Amino acid sequence: MSPVPFNWIKDALKPAKSHKLDALKTRQQANDKSLTTSLSHTLSFLESELGKSPDFVVRKFNEDPGLTDPVAVCYIEGLIDNVLLTDLIEAIITEKSSQSNLSLDAQETAALFKKKLPLGNIKAVKTENQLIQTILTGSAIVVIDGVDYVQAVSISGGSRRSVEEPTSQTVIRGPKEGFTEDISLNITLLRRKLPTPQFKLESHIIGEYTKTKVILAYIEGIALTEVVDEVNQRLRGIDTDSILESGYIEEFIQDGAFSPFPTILNTERPDTAAGALLDGQVVILVDGTPFVLIAPVTFFNFFQSSEDYYQRYDISTFLRIIRLMSFLVALLLPSLYIAITTFQQEILPTTLLISLSAQREGTPLPALMEALMMELMFEVIREAGVRMPRVIGPAISIVGALVIGQAAVQAGLVSGAMVIVVSFTAIANFVIPYFNMASAVRLIRFTLMILGGVLGFFGIIAGIIPILTHMVALKSFGINYMMPYAPFYKSNMKDLLIRVPWWAMKTRPNRKSSSNKYRQAAHQFPDSSVQKGNTNEPDSQE
Amino acid sequence: MNLGKIRVSELVVVFSIFEVGSTTLFLMGAEAKQDAWLAMVIGATVGLVLLLLHLAIHRREPQLDLFRLFRRYMGKYLGTIMNVLFVAYFTYEASRNLRDFGELTVMSLLNRTPVWIIILIVLLIISNLVRYGPEVFFLFCMILFPVMLIGYLTISILIPATGLFHFEYMLPVLEYGFMPAVTSAIPEIVSFPFGQTVLFLVFYPLAMKGRNLPRAVIITYLTSALFLTIFNQLNIFVLGTDLAPNMTLPLLETVQLIQLTQVFERTDALFTMVLYIGLGTKMAAFYLGALIGLERITKISYKKWVIPLSILLYYLAFLSPNYTHHIEIGRGIAVNKWWPIFQILLPVLLFVVMVIRRRKKA
Repeated sequence: MSPVPFNWIKDALKPAKSHKLDALKTRQQANDKSLTTSLSHTLSFLESELGKSPDFVVRKFNEDPGLTDPVAVCYIEGLIDNVLLTDLIEAIITEKSSQSNLSLDAQETAALFKKKLPLGNIKAVKTENQLIQTILTGSAIVVIDGVDYVQAVSISGGSRRSVEEPTSQTVIRGPKEGFTEDISLNITLLRRKLPTPQFKLESHIIGEYTKTKVILAYIEGIALTEVVDEVNQRLRGIDTDSILESGYIEEFIQDGAFSPFPTILNTERPDTAAGALLDGQVVILVDGTPFVLIAPVTFFNFFQSSEDYYQRYDISTFLRIIRLMSFLVALLLPSLYIAITTFQQEILPTTLLISLSAQREGTPLPALMEALMMELMFEVIREAGVRMPRVIGPAISIVGALVIGQAAVQAGLVSGAMVIVVSFTAIANFVIPYFNMASAVRLIRFTLMILGGVLGFFGIIAGIIPILTHMVALKSFGINYMMPYAPFYKSNMKDLLIRVPWWAMKTRPNRKSSSNKYRQAAHQFPDSSVQKGNTNEPDSQE
Repeated sequence: MNLGKIRVSELVVVFSIFEVGSTTLFLMGAEAKQDAWLAMVIGATVGLVLLLLHLAIHRREPQLDLFRLFRRYMGKYLGTIMNVLFVAYFTYEASRNLRDFGELTVMSLLNRTPVWIIILIVLLIISNLVRYGPEVFFLFCMILFPVMLIGYLTISILIPATGLFHFEYMLPVLEYGFMPAVTSAIPEIVSFPFGQTVLFLVFYPLAMKGRNLPRAVIITYLTSALFLTIFNQLNIFVLGTDLAPNMTLPLLETVQLIQLTQVFERTDALFTMVLYIGLGTKMAAFYLGALIGLERITKISYKKWVIPLSILLYYLAFLSPNYTHHIEIGRGIAVNKWWPIFQILLPVLLFVVMVIRRRKKA
C-alpha cells in the first residue's frame, strides 16, 4: 500500500507457498475433463488410472453388438457388497435381453437402465475425476456406450467388523453395543436411538489421499448454533493428506493445543454419544474408527460415565465422588508423600511417623528418587502390558508384581510405604472413565513429584496454582473448561458431582443460551396411586 | 479489558476472599486487649461508611473505573497524577503481600529455604495468573473459595470441639473503657483491612449489569466483617490477652494447638495453604488493579506491563531489611499515615468533585 522502500525484504521473508497444494489443484483440474460417449475410451481411462490392480474388475455385456449398445460394469472387489452386485448384474442381463427387441438409441437405453435397476442410490457421473472417486468409495459403475455419462450404483459393502461390545469403556448396566469402523453403521446406531428429524448430519471429506468421511452430528434446537458453526469451520480448515483415526481430527481442531488436558472427549459407546447430543454437544464421527469425538466438553464431563444415568442416583453420586477423589489421589498422592516425608513430617501422627521412618531407614535413596524410580518402573510395566503379545501376558504380571512389590522392599531398594503409594496411585489412575484424562494426570504427576521433593507443600501449591489457572482459562469451543463451577451455574450442579434422580433433572445443562432448555415436564415425582390407599384390592379389574 | 464480563457472584466471592486476605495472619486491635472484637466492629462500621461512599461513586458513573473517574473529573494532569499515585499504592500493597507470603512460608513450611527464592516463585505464579486478565482471575477465585471456606469452617468447629475455647478470656468487657478500642480501630483497622475495598472501584465496572451489585457487595462486606471479627477474637479466646498480641502469626499458633484423636496433631501446615489462598488472591487483586491503572494511564495493553511491574514488585518486596521492620512499616506507619490518604481523603475528594461538577452541569 504505502511506498515503503523495504517491502522487498518483507516479501522475501514471507513463507513460501505450499507447492504441494498447487500441484494437487492442477492435477484435479487436469482430471476434471468430461467423459466421452465411447465405452472403450472410458474403460481404458479407468485402467490407466487404476493401473493393473487385481481387485479392479470390469464385466462387459456386449455379446450382441449389432442390436444393443454394449454395457459394462466395473467395480473394485472387496469394497462392494457381493449380494447386491449379483442383483445388479442379474438386472442388467434381463434388461439387456428385454431391450434387445426394441431398437432404442443410447440415450433411451440409459434412461431405461436407470429406471429398471433394482437399487436405490444411483447417480449420474459426468467427469473423470468424479468417476475415479466414486469407484474408489465402493460404487459399481454402469457404463453404457453412446452416452456421455456413467451411472454409479452405490453398493458399498464388503467385510466389516460387526457391532460388538466396546472394549475401552465398559459398563455393568447399559447397552452393550459399541461403534464399529464403518461410519454408516455408526450413524445407524445413533439414528436408532434418536429417530427425530432434528437429528442433523453434516458431511465433510478430509484427507487428500484417505478421503476420509467425517460427519458432524448434532440435534438442531438443542446444540448451540455457534458451536456447530465453529466445529464446521474448523473441520473445513483441515488440509492434510490423511485422516486415519479421530485422534488426527482431535489434534487439528482442539482448543489449547499445548494443554495437557483434553478438550474433546472420545467414546466408543453410542449411548454416551446420544446422551451428549441430547445435552447439546456435537458428535464428530470419523470413518474407519470406532471412536467418535464429543465437543464441547468441560473438565467434569470426564468424570461422568454413561452408566451413572442407568444406575440408581445415590450410588452414581457416590461413584462420581470416588472418581474425583481418585483423580486427586492419582495426581497428588506421590507428591504429597514425598513432601511429607521430606519436609513436613510434623503433620503425621507420631506413631505413623516412627513407623515410616523405621521403614525408610534402610533405603539408600531420598524419597523423591525412590518415588520417581518406582513410578517410572510402573509406567514401563504398564506400557509393556499394552504392547506385548497377549500370550506373554501372565509373565508380565508376575514380573511386575515382583518389581513393584514385596521383592523390591526385601531387596532394600524402596520402603514398604512407597510400594503402597505407587500401587494405589496406579489403581486410582484407572478409575477415571476416560483414558485421555488419565493420561493428562500421568504427565502432571511427575512434575508435581519433583516440585514436592524440592520445595515440599509449597512446591505442590506452586505446581497446582498454574495448572488451575490454565484450566480456568481453557475453553472448549467457547465453553469454559471448568464450566458449571467457574463460572458458577447453579442449575448445572445437579449433574456434576451429584447426579439427581431423573425426575428432578428438568433442564438440560445450561450452556450460555440454548432455546430448548427443558428436558422434561415438571412434577414427575414417582407418586404411585397404589401407595395412597388403593392397595386393598390388588386384583380388581382395571 | 471488556466491561460487563464478570458475574456479580464472582465479584462478591473475590471481595470476600480479598477482605479475609491477609487479615487473619495478624491480631487486629491488640491494644484493646480482650475488647479487640469491639475495635473490629468499630473499624468495620467506619469501613462500611467508606464502602457506601465507593458504591455511591460507582452508582453515579457505573461505566467508569477509579482511574477513568479521576481522569474525567480532575482533568488530564491532576487526574493522571492521581492515577499514578493509586498505581503506586496498589503496587506497594501488592509488594507487601508478596513479602508477607515469603515470610509466612519461611516461618511455617520451609525454614531453611532463602526467602528470595520463595518470593520469586510466588511472583512467577501470581504474574502468570494476572497475565490472563481479570476474567480468568475472577473465575480462578471461584475455584479457591470453597477450599478456603472449608478450611476456616473446619477450624471453627475443631477449636471448640477440642476444648481450646475459653470464653472467660474475653471478660471483663470494657475493662479499660471505650477509648483503647476506638483508638486502635481508627485509623488502623479502618485502613487495614476494611478501607482497602477502595481497590474494588477498579473492578465494579467490570461486573455484569442487571443484578443488584451494591446490595450483594454490602451483604458480602457485612458477612466477611463478622467473620473477621469472630476469627480475630478466636485468637483471644484460645491464646488469651497475654499471649495473643505477642505472637508473630497468632492464628497459626492457635491452629497448632488443635489435637484431635492422635490423627490431626499439627494441622498448621495444612492451614498455611488456606492462608496462602487469601494472601495470594489479595496480592493478585492489587497487582491487577495496578496493571489496569497502568493500561489506563499509558494506553498500552496491561499484558505488556506484567514483566516490568513484576520486576518492580520483586524489588519493592525487599525494601525492608527484615520482617520486624516490614511489619513496623506496614502496621505502624502506613496504616496511620499513608493509607488514609488513598482510602479516605482521595475518594472523598473525588466524590465531592463529582457532586459539584454534576451541580454545575445541571
